[in-house]
Amino acid sequence: MDLADRAGGKFEWMAEEELRKWQLQALKQSIAQAAKSPWYGMKFKNLGLDPEDIRSLDDVSQLPFTSKDDLRLSYPTGMLAVPPEEVLRMHTSSGTTGKPTAIFHTKEDVDCWAELMARCLAMAGATSTDVFQNMSGYGLFTGGLGLHYGAERLGMWVIPAGAGNTARQITLIRDFHVTVIHATPSYAMHVAERMVQDGDDPKTLGIRIAALGAEPYTDEMRLKLQDLYGFKAFNSYGLSEMNGPGVSFECSEQNGMHIWEDAYLIEIINAQTLEPACEGEVGELVMTTLRRTAMPMIRYRTRDLTRFLAGDCPCGRKHRRIARMVGRSDDMLIIRGVDVFPSQIEEVLMREKRLGGNYVIHLTKREALDQMTVKVELAKGEFDGSIESLRNLRAEMQKHLKEQVGFTVNVDVLEPGSLPASEGKAQRVIDERE
Amino acid sequence: MYNEVRVFVENKPGKLSHVAELLGGTGIDILTLELADEGQFGVFKILTAEPDKAKSILSDAGMTVAFNQVAIVEISDRPGGLVKLAKALESADLNVTDAYGCILERGKRAVFVVKGDNLEAIEAAAREAGLRPLESLE
Repeated sequence: MDLADRAGGKFEWMAEEELRKWQLQALKQSIAQAAKSPWYGMKFKNLGLDPEDIRSLDDVSQLPFTSKDDLRLSYPTGMLAVPPEEVLRMHTSSGTTGKPTAIFHTKEDVDCWAELMARCLAMAGATSTDVFQNMSGYGLFTGGLGLHYGAERLGMWVIPAGAGNTARQITLIRDFHVTVIHATPSYAMHVAERMVQDGDDPKTLGIRIAALGAEPYTDEMRLKLQDLYGFKAFNSYGLSEMNGPGVSFECSEQNGMHIWEDAYLIEIINAQTLEPACEGEVGELVMTTLRRTAMPMIRYRTRDLTRFLAGDCPCGRKHRRIARMVGRSDDMLIIRGVDVFPSQIEEVLMREKRLGGNYVIHLTKREALDQMTVKVELAKGEFDGSIESLRNLRAEMQKHLKEQVGFTVNVDVLEPGSLPASEGKAQRVIDERE
Repeated sequence: MYNEVRVFVENKPGKLSHVAELLGGTGIDILTLELADEGQFGVFKILTAEPDKAKSILSDAGMTVAFNQVAIVEISDRPGGLVKLAKALESADLNVTDAYGCILERGKRAVFVVKGDNLEAIEAAAREAGLRPLESLE
């Protein structure tokens, strides 16, 4: 089997028209398959829905949405569409919001997922000659096994390091000449800062590609990490409901993430009207699985906010691109009546070279008024002994943040390494307003 | 010229005793220790005879440390001892941004620590007035 086949080449380079044709027949199949589950079976019956009614991709709007609540209500196996003996694996959501939800996979599904993931890594430039270290937690969290199977499918030398134990991570990278890593951006930052603190230089590790995802982050954070390590960082977006990682990834252009449209039917909707968002407008990403058998999901509302990038990608792939997530609609903070995404704060902080990469947004209430304090660390080596320059740094950051969000933000400048380091998804917001 | 040791700290209980313990435990004599309080954070200004050793002990313990160059001038520890230096700086039209004193031998010798835009000029003015800028406190 050559690499292209192993990595699903037939889908990867499909022409636009061919891709849409595939999607329509896959959508019909997916609806028929979903109907075998108790949850969708009942739902479709109540709505009088017949897969034959779907004649074009636009007809997807006739289908009901699936929400995170539906997943909870159908827990544990209400959405299982195959006999239990055909299930090969299950994962649960990482619990970013609320209690976990279970997702099932047949052998076919696990294979398809590995193929999608391998395509992502190959798209970023990884090959079978690379050594890959997965610095993501294994277990129920999909970032472990998801990346693992994809990297193996590509034929890489895989080191399943798992999360945490920073000293060991660095030793493994060095001793086995790791060239590709997967981590959350906050953990990659933590490792780099730890090395700098120990008088070491992350550039000497020789990593060339980093797959970064599982938590929202800004382009400023990416640039900072690329600068520290000298690698190219590729944005990865996925969610356990849609398998996990492997849903979308950046190509070598590093400009927007291609969503694998052979496996997912994608819509971006206005979350209020539930109508399709206008061209280029930010809206909620809604996804329908096209290649999953154990647990097809119809029009799943991801709560993640993004937009389509217009035009063809110079890489030649026809799978449409979405912009970096603006945030999860659940992440949005309302402060003094103003909508604020943590990503807006991060953008300002990451532009400042004198600050480290870790930060916490602390919300409190004083005299019925919301107060935002951003706690951020001085970067290692940036203290020059001057009180004045610390004072100026704090004042500058307060000014930039006020320009960004429109209200006064307190900034606490802390010693390097004083904020808790995260090994998985970073806890960026502490809300103590109640 | 001389290196004053500066430590950047979050302003919270325990920081002072941490610094004091680290330096005390390694036999470093603190001549003066001042806290410049900026609200949420602060900077300790430490004058010691062994600035290099103090800096490496504190930074090895994970603290954020830097040197701040100052001029230290020996004066007599008697009423009016400071006048000579102050007049010298005034007549040379030198601006002082930070200053404090420290007794070396009570009733005999003291040093005056000066930070300004031009440390060399401060030292030259002191010398002209017959005072001695120090390079060492040992």
